[in-house]
Amino acid sequence: MFTDDLYLDSKAGTPPKTKHVSFKPAKKFHSNDYSNNYVHRKSFPQKYVANIENTVEGYPKLKRLLEIKEKQILEYSSKPYGCKIGLDQMVPKLNQWIHKDKINFDIVMIGCLSDNQFIYPLLTQLPLDKLVSKPGFLFIWASVHKINELTRLMNTELWAKKFRRSEELVFIPVDKNSPFYPGLDNDDKALFEKMQWHCWMCITGTVRRSTDGHLIHCNVDTDLCIEKENNRDGAVPSDLYRVAENFSTATRRLHIIPTRTGFEKPVRLRPGWVIMSPDVMLDNFDASDYKKEISKIGTNIPIKAEIENLRPKSPIQKAQ
Amino acid sequence: MVNLELLDFLIESHAQLVAEPVMGNMEDLFVLYKGIYIASGDDSYSLERFVEDIDSIANTSKGSIVFEENRLLSIEKSSHITKYIKLIDVYLLNLLHEQLVPSSRVNRTKNSKTDAVECAPASSSNLMDRLMVALDSAIEIKSDIESRKEKVWNHYLFSKLDELLTTNVGSNILGKERAMHNTPVAEFIPICANTEHSSLLSTLLYIVNNKIVSMQTTKLSKCEAQCPGFKECLLNNIHYVSNLKPQTDLTLGDCSYLDTCHKLSTCRYVHYLQYIPQSLKERVSKESQEMNKIMETKNSKISYYTHGECCSSSFKTLLPPQWICCDVRKFDFRVLGKFSAVIADPAWNIHMNLPYGTCNDIELLELPLDQLQEEGVLFLWVTGRAIELGKESLTNWGYEVVNEIAWIKTNQLSRTIVTGRTGHWLNHSKEHLLVGIKGKPEWINRNIDLDLIVSITRETSRKPDELYGMVERMVGTHARKLEIFGRNHNVRPGWLTIGNQLTGNCIHEMDVQERYDSFLNSASA
Ligand SMILES: [Zn+2]
Ligand SMILES: [Zn+2]
Repeated sequence: MFTDDLYLDSKAGTPPKTKHVSFKPAKKFHSNDYSNNYVHRKSFPQKYVANIENTVEGYPKLKRLLEIKEKQILEYSSKPYGCKIGLDQMVPKLNQWIHKDKINFDIVMIGCLSDNQFIYPLLTQLPLDKLVSKPGFLFIWASVHKINELTRLMNTELWAKKFRRSEELVFIPVDKNSPFYPGLDNDDKALFEKMQWHCWMCITGTVRRSTDGHLIHCNVDTDLCIEKENNRDGAVPSDLYRVAENFSTATRRLHIIPTRTGFEKPVRLRPGWVIMSPDVMLDNFDASDYKKEISKIGTNIPIKAEIENLRPKSPIQKAQ
Repeated sequence: MVNLELLDFLIESHAQLVAEPVMGNMEDLFVLYKGIYIASGDDSYSLERFVEDIDSIANTSKGSIVFEENRLLSIEKSSHITKYIKLIDVYLLNLLHEQLVPSSRVNRTKNSKTDAVECAPASSSNLMDRLMVALDSAIEIKSDIESRKEKVWNHYLFSKLDELLTTNVGSNILGKERAMHNTPVAEFIPICANTEHSSLLSTLLYIVNNKIVSMQTTKLSKCEAQCPGFKECLLNNIHYVSNLKPQTDLTLGDCSYLDTCHKLSTCRYVHYLQYIPQSLKERVSKESQEMNKIMETKNSKISYYTHGECCSSSFKTLLPPQWICCDVRKFDFRVLGKFSAVIADPAWNIHMNLPYGTCNDIELLELPLDQLQEEGVLFLWVTGRAIELGKESLTNWGYEVVNEIAWIKTNQLSRTIVTGRTGHWLNHSKEHLLVGIKGKPEWINRNIDLDLIVSITRETSRKPDELYGMVERMVGTHARKLEIFGRNHNVRPGWLTIGNQLTGNCIHEMDVQERYDSFLNSASA
C-alpha cells in the first residue's frame, strides 16, 4: 500500500523518463548552518528564524496571555504625553519634575536604537535614584559599544548598589537596509560585523519574582527582539516598550531619548508613556494633568484572575 | 567630448543658474546658454544636444552637477525633460577645466574661487563646522531662498559624507570573497513555512515509533490538485508534520521540548517530525560535494589575495584533532605554546548548579589565560551576571572587548526559545560570547562574519559548531587554535582541546609533547 511514487523530473538536461525521484523519507535529522550560508549566499542568518512575526507561534496559552495583557495595559494607560525639549534642557527639566512637581516614575527607559546618544552625561548628571521610584525598573538602550563603555560606570559601587543589573536585552535588525542597522557602531576595531543593539535592564529596590506578582510578571517576554516587518515607522520599535510594559505592572512610564533622531525616524507617542525627546511629535506634557490622571488610573495595573492563571510562575515552595 | 563653452558658461554663471528664478530648469538654461554662445538664427544646436552636453560634463566629473527628478516639470513645460539641476559644484568644474585646458585661465580660477565661497556659504569656517552644519541641516527646516541654497549644498555634503562612511574597504571585500572561495559549502535545505503543506503532508505520512516510515504516494496527486505546487515544494524544502498520538491534546499547543521531550509516550502537547525526501537530501549533498571539489581543485592554485594567510596554505595538510585531558585549574599553560585564537566555555558557578564539574568563578579569574597569546583573539562564553565578570577578566588578561556575539537559540522548528522560565526575570532566547583582542594582530581577517549565530540547541551547555567556521575564517585554518573546557564533541582538526572530561590524550605537535612530558615528570617529582 505504501509505495514510493515515481516522480518525473522535468529539469532541463535530464531525459524525464530515466530520472526517478522518490519521496521516501530520509532518516537523519538535518539542520542548516546559517553562518556558512551567509558566507556563500550573503543571506542574513536572523532571517531564517521561523517565529519573527509571531513570536509565540505554537503556544496558544502564551498568546492568550499576551492578548489579555495588551488589552489591560491599554485600559490602564495615561494618555500619550510628549515633552519636546532640547538636549541641554533635559536635565534641568527632569530636576524640575522631581523637585518642584514631585513626580517620579516606576519605569524609566533611556535611549533608542541610535548611535551617538548622550547617555553617559545624562546618567551622570541626573539624580536617577530620585527620578525612579522604589521598586523601579530602568532600561537603557544603546549600541553594543556604548553599553560596553557604560559597564565601567554601572559597575562602580555607588551605581551597583542602587541599580542592580538584571537582564541584558538584545534587538536585532533583519538586514542592512533596516533603519535600525547599527552601521556606525562598526568601528575599525570590530572583528565581526555588528548587527545588534543592547539594553541594560536594572532593578532598584526589592522585588521577588515568586511573591510580587502584583508588581512584576516574569518570563512573559524574552530577552531577544528581532525586527518585525511593520515596525519601521519610527525611532523606537514598539517591542522596546512592550517588554517593559509586560514585565512591570506600573503605570508611570518615562522614556528619555537623549539624541536627535531627525525626520526619517520620528519619535511617536505611545499611550501610557511620557516621552521626552527633541524630536517627539507632540509637546503636551503638563505635570498637574499627569498627576491627576495617574491618581485616577492608579500606579499599578490591578491583578486580574485570568492573567494570574495563565502567566508563568515560579514553582510554589512548600512550607516546611 | 566635453563642450568647453558650456563648461565656461556653467562655471561663470553657476550661482544664478541654480537660484531663483531659473532654479536649474534645463529648458531655461538652454535658452540662456543659446542667448550668450550661439549666434541668433542658428537652430542646429538643439535642446537635446544641450542636455547631452550637460550629461557628458556631469559624467566626466562625477558630482560636479547634481540632478533632481521632478515629474511636474514635464507637465508644466510640455517637454519630456523631468530633471533639473539641483547643484553645481564649481570647484569640481574648475578641476575639469584645468584638466582639459591646463592653466589657461589664471584669471578665471581666481574669479571662481570667490564663486565657490558664494556657493558654499559655510566654507569660510573649517571643515568640521561645515560637516556639523550639514548634519544639522538634515533636521532643520528653513524656508527662505538663501538658506534653501545652503540646504541644497549641505544635503549634497551630507550625502557625500554618508557615502564615505558606508564605503566598504577593499581588504574587507577581498577577504569576504576569499572566504567564499575557501569555505566548504555546507548542505543547505530551506524550510517550508506553508501550514497547508504541513497538514496535507500529515495525511500522507505513515508514522511508526515516532519515525516517518513511508509515504502514501497514491494520494499525492489528489493533494497536488488541491494545492498546486505541493509536490514541487516537498522535493525542495524541509517540512515539519505533527506527530499526533492518542493522548495529544491539540488545544494545548506545542511541547516546549519538541524533539528533545523525554516523555513522548505520555506528553499531551504536540510534537513534530522532520520530513525530507531521501532524494532531496542526496541531491543537496551531491551538489555541495561537487561544489567543494571544484573549490579544492581551484584552490590548489595560490590565490592572489594572501593577507593573513600562511604561505604554504595551498598544500599544507590540516593537523588532526589534538586533546589533553587535564584539570585546567592546575595545568601549566606554558606546555601549550601560543595561539592565534582561543575559545573558553567555563561552567560559571553563578546562580546555577550544572551536572558537570563547575569551576569556581574566582578560580576562573585566576587562571593564567594571559599566557596563551602574544597577540590574537579570545572568545569567552558568558551567561547572566558572568557577562560583567567576563568583561572584567578579559581586561585583566590583557584583552580589549571588541565584539559580543549573540547566539540566537532555536528549536527543532527553527523558532526562538520563548517558554520554559529559562531566565530569572525574562526568558532567555540567546547567549553571549565575548570577543576580546590582544595586541595588534595585522593578520586577522575582519568583518567576514556577523556578530550573530542562529543555531539549534543541543545537549545542555553544548555550544554551536558554527563558531569554529567563523574563527577559522578569521585567523586561517592553519593557525594554532585552542579550546579550553572542551569535551569529546569539541575536538576537531586544526584545534587543540583541553578539559577534564576528555578521553585520554592525543598530541601530534612534537614540542607540545616534549613540554607535556616534562610537566608530568615535574608534577610527579
Ligand atoms: Zn511546502
Ligand atoms: Zn513533550
